[in-house]
Amino acid sequence: MEILAIVMLAVFAGAYLVLAGADIGVGMLLPVLGRSQQERRVVIAAIAPFFLGNEVWLVSTAGIVAGAFPGLEHHLLEGLFPLFVVLLLGWVVRDMGLWLRGRVDAAAWRRMCDAAIVAGSWALALAWASVLGSLLAGGEGLNVGSVAGLPLAALFAVHGVGLARWRLTGALSARADRFPAPYPLTGAALVTVALVAGTRLPWADAAGAGAGLTVTAVTTAVVLPVLVAAQALVWWTFRGRVDSPSYL
Amino acid sequence: MLSRVQFALTAGSHFLFVALTLGLATLVAVMQTRATVSGSAVHARMTRFWGQLYVINYAVGIVTGLVMEFQFGLNWGGMTRMAGGVFGAPLAMETIVAFFIESTFLGLWIFGWDRLNRWAHLALIWVVTLTAYLSAYFVLVANGWLQRPVGYEMVDGAARLTDLGAVMTNPTAVLAFFHVLFGGLLTAGFFMAGVSAFHLFRRTAEVEFFRRSMRIGLLTVILSVFPVVVFGGMQFAHVQPTKNPGSDDAAAKAAEFTARFGPDDYLAPGLTDAGLATMVMAWVVMILVALVALVKLPFGRWLVRGRVFHVLMMLAVPLPYVAMLAGWVFREVGRQPWTVYGLLKTKDALSDVSPGLITTSFVAFTALFAVLIGVNTWLLARYARRGPDAARLGAPAPVEPAAPALAPTF
Repeated sequence: MEILAIVMLAVFAGAYLVLAGADIGVGMLLPVLGRSQQERRVVIAAIAPFFLGNEVWLVSTAGIVAGAFPGLEHHLLEGLFPLFVVLLLGWVVRDMGLWLRGRVDAAAWRRMCDAAIVAGSWALALAWASVLGSLLAGGEGLNVGSVAGLPLAALFAVHGVGLARWRLTGALSARADRFPAPYPLTGAALVTVALVAGTRLPWADAAGAGAGLTVTAVTTAVVLPVLVAAQALVWWTFRGRVDSPSYL
Repeated sequence: MLSRVQFALTAGSHFLFVALTLGLATLVAVMQTRATVSGSAVHARMTRFWGQLYVINYAVGIVTGLVMEFQFGLNWGGMTRMAGGVFGAPLAMETIVAFFIESTFLGLWIFGWDRLNRWAHLALIWVVTLTAYLSAYFVLVANGWLQRPVGYEMVDGAARLTDLGAVMTNPTAVLAFFHVLFGGLLTAGFFMAGVSAFHLFRRTAEVEFFRRSMRIGLLTVILSVFPVVVFGGMQFAHVQPTKNPGSDDAAAKAAEFTARFGPDDYLAPGLTDAGLATMVMAWVVMILVALVALVKLPFGRWLVRGRVFHVLMMLAVPLPYVAMLAGWVFREVGRQPWTVYGLLKTKDALSDVSPGLITTSFVAFTALFAVLIGVNTWLLARYARRGPDAARLGAPAPVEPAAPALAPTF
């Protein structure tokens, strides 16, 4: 049962890094990909329908940790407390930038929201890089890997370019094309880093005892096909390239 | 202490926004159903206008919720160590079974307005609404277990889940769920009636739009004002004895706790009673407003013209919020000094993190949420004031001259 729960955790964490990693990367490079406010709105439209559906993979990852691996929750969140605080702050700032950008029709407002999206995305990517680095270096709490891992943030940015190349069109897509960023390759790299980091976690005493572990693992495995179908529906609906602004 | 205040602020603001989210999602789904079935243009516009307010409100609920999920591990490490084996399960189910689908489909509903078949689009909002309720249920199962731990055994100082059914049917969870469900509807009903009253008071040209909205709001208020008190009252059968400090039960229970866990202040703080009194008072005012509404509801023209009534409805918008917050204070403060009632004291539930870090994170999150709530409340008021023509949700994509702006860059 523990194996099933670990597999589920890997699936959700991996899906988060591949899917949300790309929209975080687009956020990091927003000023590079879109030179004017209008262009930036089109760039945002490339990720807008997906970012809600992408970040739920992380919410569910946290749910699986809480339900199946309460020991891990303490190891990660308490041990890496400052990193997760930065991660959460970046996440909130970025999402608010995305949500609020189109709500007020004023150039200064859009500039502020663009700044929030860029700063939040960088904070999020750097925090993830540091978390992954800390885990790769092994041991509990902050360590040399917390700093050494920071360059991993670049992986998010390159991954984002890969998404931009594939979602945008015309001049915007051509601009992204100047960076060689193969989406499947950067996605695989992110997953590999996460899996290697995962092997460094203290699994021995992480799993919860009793029915909590079973309930969480089985429910997740049973529901997973439905979740994948729901996400596939979103990707199918918005499969076309983006050339105009959307609701955000 | 800061951990407690931080969690209280996060959970409190989450709860305030979520209450409107739950109720308003339901009403938007009802309006969209009418629009889809009858092809009524006014209902389609109502769906877009109220849907836009729902989406603005949703954004705060979601980010405070995200932070809250992580705060369990960040601030309450002692609790996850001791109770994580039971408490974590409903939280996991909430994220996987409910929130995942809710959020994915909400994105599809917002951005897929003109891309999907209208029946498919209607189905989306219903799925979003139902998964939102499912989400609330699972969260209250987790909270209900803290109030009244059931279905577990203690092994080596940690709780293990032994009876999932008992945890899921815990009366402190199920009754609280229905209490919150009708509380959310009451909040949305008063919100809708209040915003409509504002426009009617200003003699809007959109008379039919706001008369219908006002009727839906008032009807919702009338239908939920009694169930909310029934499900609230039923919970008293399961309330912790120490929540009512004057009673003999409370003294007996406190004596029992003292014998088992050593001396401490086991009786609920005074704030608890204030919470209860405020909630009941707010409800009494709401039922009086509901009575007036009941008299006026059958007369459409009277709803459009009665200016005193419009002012009354505008003033009534905060009432359910007051009741919600006060009820939450009664429930949560009244459980102190326990985090898990009779098992784990709040002071032992904290994380093993340095006070400096806790303070920094407290200041950062509090400042951020204060700005956020301020901005979103302002936006909610602004879009509510502007009326249906300003609703961008579901509007056809704006035609912008994209080409000239793009051309010169290469």
